[in-house]
Amino acid sequence: MVDAFLFWFLAIVTVLAGLSVVLMTNPIYSALSLVMTMVGVAALFVTLEAYFLAGVQLIVYAGAVMVLFVMVLMLFDLKHELQAFTRGKITGGVKIASVGIIAGLVVGAITLGTKALELSKAGAETSKPVVDSTKALAENLFLKNVFGFEALGVVLLVIAVGTVALSRTKGGTHARD
Amino acid sequence: MQETNMLTQIGLEHYLVLSAILFSMGMAGVLMRRNLIVLLMSVELMLNAVNISFVAFSKFNGNIEGQIMVFFVMTIAAAEAAVGLALAVSIFKRFKEVNIRFFEHLKG
Amino acid sequence: MMNMGSTPFEITVNIIKTVLVFLMMVQLVPILVWVERRGSAFIQNRFGPNRIGPLGLMQLLADAVKFLTKEDFVPDKGNKYLFYAAPVFALIPAAIAYMAIPMSTPLIIGDSKFLIQGFEINVGIVFILGISSLAAYTILMAGWGSGSKFSLMGAMRASAQIISYELALGLSIVGVIMTYGTFNLTDIIQAQQGHLSFSFFSHQIESAFLPNWGIFYQPLGAIIFLAATFAESNRLPFDLAEGEAELVAGFHTEYGGFKMLMFFIGEYGHMMIASGLMATFFFGGYGIPYVTTKEVYEFFLSSTGVETTAHVLNTLVHFLSYNIKFIFFLWFFIHVRWTLPRFRYDQLMDLGWKTMLPWALANTIVTAIIIFASAQFSF
Repeated sequence: MVDAFLFWFLAIVTVLAGLSVVLMTNPIYSALSLVMTMVGVAALFVTLEAYFLAGVQLIVYAGAVMVLFVMVLMLFDLKHELQAFTRGKITGGVKIASVGIIAGLVVGAITLGTKALELSKAGAETSKPVVDSTKALAENLFLKNVFGFEALGVVLLVIAVGTVALSRTKGGTHARD
Repeated sequence: MQETNMLTQIGLEHYLVLSAILFSMGMAGVLMRRNLIVLLMSVELMLNAVNISFVAFSKFNGNIEGQIMVFFVMTIAAAEAAVGLALAVSIFKRFKEVNIRFFEHLKG
Repeated sequence: MMNMGSTPFEITVNIIKTVLVFLMMVQLVPILVWVERRGSAFIQNRFGPNRIGPLGLMQLLADAVKFLTKEDFVPDKGNKYLFYAAPVFALIPAAIAYMAIPMSTPLIIGDSKFLIQGFEINVGIVFILGISSLAAYTILMAGWGSGSKFSLMGAMRASAQIISYELALGLSIVGVIMTYGTFNLTDIIQAQQGHLSFSFFSHQIESAFLPNWGIFYQPLGAIIFLAATFAESNRLPFDLAEGEAELVAGFHTEYGGFKMLMFFIGEYGHMMIASGLMATFFFGGYGIPYVTTKEVYEFFLSSTGVETTAHVLNTLVHFLSYNIKFIFFLWFFIHVRWTLPRFRYDQLMDLGWKTMLPWALANTIVTAIIIFASAQFSF
């Protein structure tokens, strides 16, 4: 009973925050709503018993990536949104219709598909114990997927070097513009 | 009887529908918003929705690989956000605008 | 962790504990402010506040009354919602993160077991790191909502400082996690009992002189952790976010009255988390040095004979032990503030990225190598 209440509460909060990411015209409100969405997603991870992932989501996404977004937005100092949404009624209508079609297809596939229901019943009995979930995660990551893990490290290194190279100005930091 | 079962017993479908709703909202944001940064944020919203569905499948199938995939997705998303923001800063320095309607040079 | 409690009794107890931890954090702030003002006055060879109440203890009460009657304004060019939201948001991460720190042994009365911490969180450290990294938003919202360039610059610097030192903080904790093999704070405290004894390359090293504290296992990690938490709570020598001589008052320039007080409650809250974590990881938490919690319990059981009283006394004694370490570190934070000069911004960023991060990484690698090698080989 408490589980259900928790899930519905978190789901509604996350969906509302996601909606205000897309609909608010002030980009800083949008960014702060996205932070709320990510905190909601971290709480949903907790209800799904992925505790370590919830903590990592908070540390990485809500604590570092979104801080970067908010900092960049605040430095841009955009006064007002001249035209926040796409213009043109027909193209706007086509876009919303396409989103609606995809959403409807996915939701219909989920609720009408019987295979997913069978999976959920079968898997709930064989779910791993909670206590050493982090150990299981580490074993899988470092033993089976070690190539992907190292490749991620290389990707991050390339990204870091590339970002610094992108934001260099001619003459260094203290040169006049 | 069926109604209370869906409301009080949370199954895989609930999380998947939630993920679909978030994903479609992110997609609507990418298609409809014109601020470059909000565009990037909508992409992050889509990636978060996908993360939810990965973890939901991981729990309901008892397979830990779903959570491993979330690691990868999270890392790539963070990296892509960093590069996107660096590009946005360069664009702002050059054009003093981040509204993408000023960059439709290839149109027409 | 999903069980907020199966029975209404448990749920009520958990809710009461949540409120209690929050109130504890808020009520400790007047005492800390008094210690800071009197202590700094004595360091600087002057009297502090000593008129109001005995020894000036009621000073913050008078300040609160004064703040209540101040005008409540929003700067003209600022953003009203963010301006109001930022001080409220300052309290939230500190209070939530403090709930994961265990303050004493569990209190077992009859059938029910009360944990003397907010919630028993299995991934305690990751949770605390995650929640305290949300503190950057307070600063950003305050700096932006004030609508002035001083505030914005102060906010940018402060948030860049916070996210830079989060890395060194996390990495210095990884060494502790690897040494004890668990994320759970209670398990880490339980592993730090008794005398120093560990097996190093299959020699058993014992010491009758030193307690089994974490600081002897991870000395470099302790130093880096201490320095990084100074930066995380914006305390001197890392406090150029509020540097008085440089940026007027940084991100809380435009705040007056109760809102500024709430910022300070948040800052002291972070200081409390840092002290609690320092005591938990490196100084044995609520344990008394040289004895284990079981021995203390047996002592009380043999002297009183009643189990409930023994448990209560056990909890009280360990709570006292935790508080001694906690208050020592708080005093240490306050003392350092009035002793060291402030860092310049580029020195601060250099320190965070070029000194502390490589040292923390080296600490992690060396710890991993030693743990692995001493489990595999022996000489």
